[in-house]
Amino acid sequence: MGSNVILARMGEVTLKGLNRGVFENKLMSNLKYRLKGFGKLSIFQSQSRLWIEPKDENNEYFESEAKAMDLLNACTQVFGIVSVSFASKFEGGFDEIVKESIACVENYINNHPEHKTFKVESKRGDKSFPMTSMELSGEVGYEILEHFPQLSVDVKNPDFVLSVEVREFNYVYAGKIMGHRGLPVGTAGKGMLLLSGGIDSPVAGYMMASRGMQLDAVYFHSYPYTSDRAKDKVIDLAKIVSRFSGRMNLYVVDFTQIQLDMYKNSRQDMLTVTMRRVMFQIAEELAKKSGCGCLITGESLGQVASQTLEAINITNEVVELPVFRPLIGLDKEATCDLSRKIGAFETSILPYEDCCTVFVAKHPKTHPKHKDIEEAESKLDIKQMVFDGVNKNLEIIEI
Amino acid sequence: MIYFDNSATTKPIPEVIETVCNSLSSDTLFGNPGSLHELGTIVTKEYNNQFKAIASVLHCYENELYFTSCATESANTAILGYITRHKREGNIIISTRTEHKATLETLKKAEEFGFIIKFVDVDRNGKPKLDMLEELISDEVILMCFTHVNNETGSILPLDEIVNIRNKKNRKIAIYLDMVQSVGKLAIDLKKMNIEMGSFSGHKIHSVKGTGLLYVKAGVSINPYILGGGQQNNMRSGTQSLVLAEAFRVALEEAYKHFDESHETVHEINKFLREELVKREAVILSPDDALDYVLNVSFKGFESETMLHCLEKYGIYVSTISACSSKTKKVSYVLLDMGIDRKTAGNSIRLSFSRFNTMEEAKTFIASVDEIYKLFAL
Repeated sequence: MGSNVILARMGEVTLKGLNRGVFENKLMSNLKYRLKGFGKLSIFQSQSRLWIEPKDENNEYFESEAKAMDLLNACTQVFGIVSVSFASKFEGGFDEIVKESIACVENYINNHPEHKTFKVESKRGDKSFPMTSMELSGEVGYEILEHFPQLSVDVKNPDFVLSVEVREFNYVYAGKIMGHRGLPVGTAGKGMLLLSGGIDSPVAGYMMASRGMQLDAVYFHSYPYTSDRAKDKVIDLAKIVSRFSGRMNLYVVDFTQIQLDMYKNSRQDMLTVTMRRVMFQIAEELAKKSGCGCLITGESLGQVASQTLEAINITNEVVELPVFRPLIGLDKEATCDLSRKIGAFETSILPYEDCCTVFVAKHPKTHPKHKDIEEAESKLDIKQMVFDGVNKNLEIIEI
Repeated sequence: MIYFDNSATTKPIPEVIETVCNSLSSDTLFGNPGSLHELGTIVTKEYNNQFKAIASVLHCYENELYFTSCATESANTAILGYITRHKREGNIIISTRTEHKATLETLKKAEEFGFIIKFVDVDRNGKPKLDMLEELISDEVILMCFTHVNNETGSILPLDEIVNIRNKKNRKIAIYLDMVQSVGKLAIDLKKMNIEMGSFSGHKIHSVKGTGLLYVKAGVSINPYILGGGQQNNMRSGTQSLVLAEAFRVALEEAYKHFDESHETVHEINKFLREELVKREAVILSPDDALDYVLNVSFKGFESETMLHCLEKYGIYVSTISACSSKTKKVSYVLLDMGIDRKTAGNSIRLSFSRFNTMEEAKTFIASVDEIYKLFAL
């Protein structure tokens, strides 16, 4: 494999005005953090792009295709990066450029045998090069056609583009892998994600992180009504989200006693809403303690009884912090697609649930009113419950 | 720790561990029985000795036994091997819906090959309805698959009656018997049992995982399932493992050596638990005449998995087939087929014992249940 450098393109970040530097620096440090564990790398910015090169000659991630894909995928998961390409960096004149271009195309069509048309795009930083960019594209294109008779040129809608750049060094690369775009995590404050073992909440976390928000997460554990496998599953999901959102603290609240109290002393048809109100208040306390400026949930309007407008209103009014619900207007299928895209789906659908059937009312009230919740909570010491949730047996896991 | 999950697997006994260690550290016993040199001869001899010893415990001929990796492999080999060999003689297989998955999934495969599976209903005690069985038997039936002792309830198969019906209606039908839960716990006399094939597993009787056994009666021909170098009379290829054979043999011998005292201990535990649990409004789902080693019980107001985790908190390990989740609820098909309602089945826990359990443990179990009711009942 001739490729020895990765170039990553930045998207929305480059449209920023005076504070563009802040965004770029954050992106750079996030990238460095994400690429820990991939050997010693030199990461720098040049021509509005980020370049990643191995510091050691024998970095295994630049040696085999499969390993290289791990590295490329890690890059694409850093928000702010639009696309990445593996490129060859070399010195020399036109002959070397042709040689490397042929090697690059050969490698590319081995991986994409269905691609039949291409074009060459050239850029010259070094204007002393004896050809214009147009001439260089034409000549390299000619050589490639000679070498690969199965390919043809299509300048309007090619299957792939071979890029040639002549600067201090020469670079050639073909094709690119799309990134997750968005804004660098850490440029938009921090939010507390209410994370369950389901499909929605990890996606909600991912979506907020894509707008630059750093995340902490809170999970409500009801052992022995739910198994420790359910907790392990939530930890796994937190790890998946953190591939995108960077380091995160997962707060595991011991919810057993609170839930038992509620079950025995609240109205059955209001159980879920009452429970969510307590969860919100515990999450808000933890959010304030850890510097989060909002709560994030995976709620989607009308998906279940506790996600009707009335139920959401009643849940929402117990907290001061804004509650972000990025999935509110998505249907389940769209959420599942996103879940698959971020690699969480297979974990989310494992059978260990966060909430046992025993605590779910058979006929929950779908349009609760104030007098319902007042009655449901009349026998509960909510303040104490919130205090216990935040203070008793709280486990903090660094993800 | 109180381990009441011996039908899932068991802890290897010191005798097995010692045998395994000695065998593995031996300078000669690592040899390949297929080798033509001296080491091969030594190992072959030792290997055959294991068969001899096992055959004498199970009352069969040594050439009727084959070592496999597990009982599931034995089930696959027996069922698929028999039906593919005898497909010209008929295309119907009889079984029950309460078989272990190793049998049921293999029967599904048989369906893909064009065989018809006819299921005999079971009664409230988990026993096949014999009049229905009699009606199902025809000239087209070539095989019947049953379980000697059901792994979820301990229900014992009326084998003699079934064999009699078979002998009366169609002697050509072969019987495959899953003896995973009965070996070591019931007397096994293969010569008298009048079955054609059977499967056993070592790790349920305090041996190690990876030790399975297949019985095929002399004169019954089946196709091999694992092909290769033709080991074990061409029935099960793959280099034979002396150490696993030894591990199985020792566990089996020990099980029958302690047979009577083991039964006494386990009977006492089972009786005590039944009496105490009934007082606590639990429903005993195992039939009255079930094997004492398995006790299936349904706790009022506790879903299976909740009770399992509650007991886990007290260091008591049991198992459940039913699992609860907020969306779907998996309930044991065995219990449902016995006619037990969904709710009772959904609250069921299986306790399974070994000769190493004690009355003390049973008493602690009951005390823990009382505490669990106090703390976690809804």
